[in-house]
Amino acid sequence: MKNSWARNWFTVLTFVRINTKRFFRDRTAIFFTIGFPLIFLFVFGSLNNNSSSISFNVALINNSDSAFSKEFADTLKKSDTIKVSEEVTTLDDAKEKMSRSELDAAIVLPETFGDIQSGNNYPSGEAQVIYTQNNLQSGVALTSILESQFQQINQQLVPSVTPFTVAGEQLNENSLSAFDYTFAGLLGFAIIGMGIFGPINVFPELKKMGILRRLSTTPLRVWQYFVSTMIGQAIIGILAIAVMFAVAIWLFNLQVVGSWLELGIFIIFSIMMILGIGLALGGWAKNERQVAPLANIVVFPMMFLSGTFFPRFLMPEWLQNVSAFLPLTPVIDGIRLIITEGAHFIDILPQIGLVAAWMVVIYIIAFKVFRWE
Amino acid sequence: MTHMVEVKNLKKRYGDKQAVNGVSFTVKKGEIFGILGPNGAGKTTTLEMMETLRPIDSGSVTIDGIDVKKNPQAIKYLIGVQPQSPAFQDKTRLTEVIEMFGAAYGEKVDAMQFLRDVDLEEKAKSFVEDLSGGQKQRLSITTALVHGPKVFFLDEPTTGLDPQARRHLWELIEKVREKGISVIMTTHYMDEAEILCDRIAIMDNGEIIAIDTPRNLIKQLIARGFKKKQEVQQASLEDVFIDLTGKAMRDGS
Repeated sequence: MKNSWARNWFTVLTFVRINTKRFFRDRTAIFFTIGFPLIFLFVFGSLNNNSSSISFNVALINNSDSAFSKEFADTLKKSDTIKVSEEVTTLDDAKEKMSRSELDAAIVLPETFGDIQSGNNYPSGEAQVIYTQNNLQSGVALTSILESQFQQINQQLVPSVTPFTVAGEQLNENSLSAFDYTFAGLLGFAIIGMGIFGPINVFPELKKMGILRRLSTTPLRVWQYFVSTMIGQAIIGILAIAVMFAVAIWLFNLQVVGSWLELGIFIIFSIMMILGIGLALGGWAKNERQVAPLANIVVFPMMFLSGTFFPRFLMPEWLQNVSAFLPLTPVIDGIRLIITEGAHFIDILPQIGLVAAWMVVIYIIAFKVFRWE
Repeated sequence: MTHMVEVKNLKKRYGDKQAVNGVSFTVKKGEIFGILGPNGAGKTTTLEMMETLRPIDSGSVTIDGIDVKKNPQAIKYLIGVQPQSPAFQDKTRLTEVIEMFGAAYGEKVDAMQFLRDVDLEEKAKSFVEDLSGGQKQRLSITTALVHGPKVFFLDEPTTGLDPQARRHLWELIEKVREKGISVIMTTHYMDEAEILCDRIAIMDNGEIIAIDTPRNLIKQLIARGFKKKQEVQQASLEDVFIDLTGKAMRDGS
């Protein structure tokens, strides 16, 4: 009989080989699978990199000509935390820029700042920090930073005893940067992109041209067609994700704590599950018009509620409980736990279990609703 | 078993329209059988039921002794199908198209040999989107033959082709018959049916209203007292066209 195991797999692997070659000839497909997620990676990577080192944009208005005020202004300009704008020299300019949030605050040194008052042998004065309502936080933070700087200066000028002090100590252990956290979400976004948007664009087109119909007159089975698509997508997906990892590690200092092997296997497993959604939607739809609204209903909740761009812990509790069961949530959580906490399969069994459960449900639906035309 | 294909009282209903209403015919091994009829006569539906593409309401189709309704998967190994407008996924080389169709039957095939059969050797490394209509038809024919089928179905194979490409396709269909394959085709062109088909069935409103060799059908018509109004010409306009432009295939046809 012609249905031997080897023949079946010869069929599948030939389809994988030719369709994978096809993918690399298609610049649009390459862009959407590899380039598009990379753009998001760059955007989010740069955003997070800035926020990891806090700095303030300030204007320094120095109305004093004392030696101390000059020295103080120079020290401020050298600071990494406080970025002094070179252009703004008057308070009115500064106010205008603050109203547009281009500046966080203005530091004003009054005329008498740094003068030596009669009866003293050291300079004194009061610097003002001016900020708008919207920049309350920066204003308060900046005030306390200046306060501690003045305290150091005061200590040098007028030595005194300080009975109580506090000292901070930085630990050398790895901690999550905002980017490490976001990266798993970006991977989730990329997996949705290739797993769902790929098939829902391709299948209706193949149906419209009658290509699938022609294939249905051959002994090719639906499972062979699905499996060949799954293997092909897994190859392309792993490649696209490898590029994302490379960029993230080199440019944005991503720390991968967990095992690469476990990470790879979990990602392949996840791609196949999410691809099932694309196969079900694309396999069911007769044309593009039919698939678009349904795809949006399925994709958007995952995009916003599974923790791709917004961390789930920011959501109200009831929403967290609901979104925990979306197919993409265990994918992103699992990837994040492996990358950031070095979790092993045994630690992420709940996630693996949920992905597996969705896999079964989704593929049962996909096989049931598949149409060749 | 004398007949390769046996169709008995085949019926198909869409809503309140009886698309195919009790069609019966047989096709011998190595015979070219034509199904003629106006649009909506039920030709394509009949073909699609035989090709396992549409469920059969009632009646039966057997191909090489196998019942289409009972064992569609086995039938797929016996038939080759040429759709009305062949299409292939883009960015695929001709050799790859043939390899994929071979693989669909679980067979490793010599793609170049199959391309040679339809004069597409030089195009082997081209992408399918660079082919002309006639070349696509030829590629489609050869993909339908990769597994050595016993019955070959063609649905309006020459629609939209220029006269040179049509004649070339007729030669190909003759070659297929010479291999002992039964050919079942639909067409709108009477000249095509007359030249190519051993027997034809004329369908209208889902029923076969006449079935015989083209020559016998013409004889019967004349016997009924039919006379052509116009004097029979010794040559047709197509003969003039072919005489002036030659039989050779054109680039891109």
